[in-house]
Parts: sequence; C-alpha cells; structure tokens
Amino acid sequence: MMTRNKQSVIGLAIIMTFVVVAVVMEASALLGVQATPYPANPLPNQASTPLLPPSLAHPFGTDNLGRDVFSRILVATPYDFMIGFVVVGSAVLIGAFLGGLAGLRGGLLDEFLMRFTDIFFALPVLLIAMVIGAVLGGGITNMSVALMITWWPSYARLARGETLKVAHQNYIEASRLSGQRPHRILFRHVIPNISGTMLVYATLDIGTVILVYSGLTFLGLGNRPPAPDWGQMVAAYNGWVLTDPWLALIPGLVISIGVIGFSLLGDGIKDTLGIR
Amino acid sequence: MNLLRFVLRRLAFAVFVLFCVLTMTFVLSHLIPGNVVQAWLGKAAEQYPVLAKLYADKYHLNDPVYVQYFYYLAGMLQGNLGVSPSKGFIPVASVIAQTLPLTLQIVLLAFVICIIMGLALGILSARYHNTPVDTLIRVFYLAGYSSPPYFIGVVILVIMSLYLRILPTGGAYNPLIVSPSPVITGFPILDALLQGNFAFFENASLHLILPSLTLALVTFGVITRLARSSLLDVMQMDYIRTARSKGLDEGTVFYRHALPNAAISMITISSLVMTFLLTGSVFVEYLFSYPGIGQYAYTALQGSDYPGIMATVFVFAAIIVITNLVADVLYAYVDPEIRLG
Repeated sequence: MMTRNKQSVIGLAIIMTFVVVAVVMEASALLGVQATPYPANPLPNQASTPLLPPSLAHPFGTDNLGRDVFSRILVATPYDFMIGFVVVGSAVLIGAFLGGLAGLRGGLLDEFLMRFTDIFFALPVLLIAMVIGAVLGGGITNMSVALMITWWPSYARLARGETLKVAHQNYIEASRLSGQRPHRILFRHVIPNISGTMLVYATLDIGTVILVYSGLTFLGLGNRPPAPDWGQMVAAYNGWVLTDPWLALIPGLVISIGVIGFSLLGDGIKDTLGIR
Repeated sequence: MNLLRFVLRRLAFAVFVLFCVLTMTFVLSHLIPGNVVQAWLGKAAEQYPVLAKLYADKYHLNDPVYVQYFYYLAGMLQGNLGVSPSKGFIPVASVIAQTLPLTLQIVLLAFVICIIMGLALGILSARYHNTPVDTLIRVFYLAGYSSPPYFIGVVILVIMSLYLRILPTGGAYNPLIVSPSPVITGFPILDALLQGNFAFFENASLHLILPSLTLALVTFGVITRLARSSLLDVMQMDYIRTARSKGLDEGTVFYRHALPNAAISMITISSLVMTFLLTGSVFVEYLFSYPGIGQYAYTALQGSDYPGIMATVFVFAAIIVITNLVADVLYAYVDPEIRLG
C-alpha cells in the first residue's frame, strides 16, 4: 500500500540507509572492530594530510587534523541518528499513557495535565536542554534525559485530544458500563484507535529531535571531543568555512538529508492513512 | 466571558509561567555539583579568596536555599541579574541591554521576511495545488525546515560572501568604515536612522541581511504549509460556494473571502514562528559573529557563566510568553468563540 506513495518510499529508503549504518557502526564499536575506511579518531601519526578536498580516497575530504571526514560522520551516526528514536519512543509511551488516561477519566487529572503541559509549551526545548546541559554537563546520556523530559508534553496533549474524540464512541461507553477498569479500556480500545495520528506525529518528530540534538552538539553539549557528533563538527569546522567550505557543509548536509527522510515518510504515512 | 476577563486570565497565567521559569532556572543552577561560589565565579574564586568571600556574602551564596531564593526574586524584580564572569564581571543586565536589541533586529526582520515569503508561497501553492508548482514549493520549504539553521547559514554565506562577494561575512557592522550613533532607542540601526547617520544605517543593514535571511529560510516552511492547508480548507466552505454562485470571479472570491478567513490561523502560528526564530538566533549569531543575545547565551554556556545562562533563558522565555499572550489575545479578539470557551 505504501509503495504506491513515492515520497514515503524515498523517505523510507533514506531512513533505512541511516539505520543500517548506525547498526553496523554500533556493532563494530561493541566488537572493537573498525568498520570505517579510516579511523575516526586517529593518532597524529596515523592521520592523513590535513584539509584535503573531497576525492576518491577521502570522499568527504579531511579536516584540519587530517582525520577522514567520511569516517567521522559514519561513527557519529549511532548517536546522532538513533537519539531520535529513543527520545520520541519514550515520549510517545509516557505521553500516550498520561494523555490517554487524562482524556478518559477527565476531572482533576485532566485539569492538572493541561496546566502542567501549558507551562512546558511556553519554554523552548533548546533552552531547557541548554540549562540542564550547563548544570549536569554534556554528553549523550544527559542530553537524552533533557530531551525526554521536554518532549513528552506534546504527546500527552495529542493523546488527550485524540482520546477525547474517541471516548464518546459507543463501544467505550459499553465497556465502561460493563465494568471495565479504566486502564483496560485505555489499552484495549483507546490506544489502538489513537495510534494512527500518534504515529504520523512521531515520525515527523523524530526528524525534529535529530535537528535539536545536532543543535545541542553544535553548542558543545554533545559527546566530548574527540568523539564526533554531526553538529559539533559543523561548529568545530566553522573557522574554515571561507577557505575549505566542504568541512562545515557536509555534516550539515547529512543532518538535513536525515531529517528530510523522516519528513517525507511522515507525510507519506499521513497521506496514506488519510490523517489531517 | 468578555474580552477583558479573557485578557486578565491569560495575563495572570503568563505571569505564573514566568514565575515557574524563574524558579526552574534557580533550582537548576543550584543543583550544580560542587562549590556554588566556585561555579558562579569561575577561576577567580581560587585566585582571589577574599573576593570570593565578599562575593559570597554579597550574593548570599552561603545562606540556606530559601533565603537565596528570596534574594534572587527580589533582585530580579529590581533588575539586578548578577554579574557575568564570562564578560569580565559587568552586570548581566547591561550585557542584555546591549545584546538584546541586536537580536531583536535580526528576529523582527526575519519575521517579516518569513511572513511575506510564507504567505506568498502558501497562496501560490494553494492556487495551483497538485501541480508541479505546488511540488516545487514543497521541496523548497521541506529543504528549508529540515536543515539546521547553521547549515543554511553556511550555504548562503558561501554563496553570497565567497562567490558573489556582495554581502559581508559577519559582525553587526564594519568598525573600520562606520561607527554607531549615540543611543536613543537602544536599537543601533534605528538610532542611526533617526540621527541621519546613513552610512552606519546602510552598513549595519547589509550585515543584517544574511542572519535574517538564514532564519527566515529555516522557518518559512511552517507558514507556507499552514497557509496552503487552511486556504484549501476554506475553499471548500459553503460561504465560498455562495460567493461563487453570486457571480463573483475567482480572484475576488479568493482574495476577499477566502484569504481573510485563512489569515486567522496565521495568528496562532506566529508565536510558534517566534519560538523558532529566537532559538535559531543562537546558531545564526554564532555563525555570523553577530553580537546579540544568542551569542551571549552561547558564550555564557561555554564559559559556565551561570548568571548569564539563567538570565538569557529567562529573557528568551519571557519573549515567548509575551508573544503567546499577544497572539492569544488577538485570536480571541478576532474569534469570539474562543473567549466564550
């Protein structure tokens, strides 16, 4: 069904490429094997000539320390790309549960959830993550936690809204009247029906997380150097943008392509499922 | 409820949110592991123990947490935001007073470009929906909002400054050629214009173009998408059919009946756009070395300047809260159903 939709095919192809790279890189890191053509963090005597433009030997060129940019981008993929899945996955789980429950039961829980999420909406994610990063220090674990904390409110609101639309249906009423506990109604009836919209939103959102995380690494809150991160590479190579522009352009291009993949797939799913 | 009561309720909520932001930044900055004085003063705490003691006494850093909170709030209300280690210990409030107008210059120009571009392309793609024009516009804005601001910034920097050489590469103005005018409004470009300093006005405006354009390119997609979908929705409505059956031509129907109603949803999106523009300014100001509050946020973060970090977070949050409030009030003014709900 989805293969008829050209954009979702392209999107899915892009995403699968990144996922395969991420899995291979992570596996090779765990096994201690080097899967990239050159080491991502070479010792000075292992490094190539600095600042080479893209060529056959070095597809993305080398940076100021002679490190192969292509290898560094590959090595950063498990962190920079998969963080999208981690953050959105946890946000969906927490948000669907809280929002669904609030939508079903209403009352005080609902009021409280609405006010609580309202406060979160006034604060941009980037700033909160910056403050948490400043206090706790950077690194992927801290940043993941910071992003998870700020990401779930929009899913809770979405789940609540969708649950309210579904909750008036007769089968929900019948369930309640026959004595079903609220959490059973939630899991057996509500969640399957709201998951379409949640899926579309989540797919588009994974790209956003990747974008925000790359912004955080750009600001220096990601993995400590010399471990590579796409955003951090753009910031580090900023000094050479007028003389060797490929250094700053290529990591940014990789981020853009990754996010575009999710946008295409999300829009494709949206069109296929007929969700607005 | 009428408009006034709605406004008052929203205003009260906005104040409450700002209060929560203040509390959150206070709590977070006091969760710093280690010596608080050391964190706030940086390296100077070790070199000058007498200074550290004086600083700690003055800012009550050794008192219990609730006492510090009280002084923090009191200080905030008086406009005292502490001193900034990363900027040589000058008051944070004066750093913000110098840097915020510059960022606002970028953000306001970007906002205008964004709205114009977004609406124009949204209208075009709604008019010619499901044609190649529509697809082309969609590719354009998809590339825009999927890319990080610093990537788009580097691209247009390379094109405009490196190859075409028509725009400067960074900074707010070129100090070798022009100098700013004395301060009236606090906005350097406006001050120059008001006092007839056209050389500075022209130079500073040229320096403004790349940062604002970058921000606009990253954000306009949101507006285009919304304009397109709300226009397409509105065109299905009954009152459009009525207008057509009255004999009005398509142009009048579109511009006089469909467009104003679609424009209402623009109001709510503008607060979202402001959020994107403000957070984007951090990256854009770093890339173009523009000395605004975004760059100060970055410098403060790099230098572990906690008063600076807290102040910039608070200022950003305050601007967003105010924008949301204005948008909500405007929307309630335009759409009576919201006030009653």
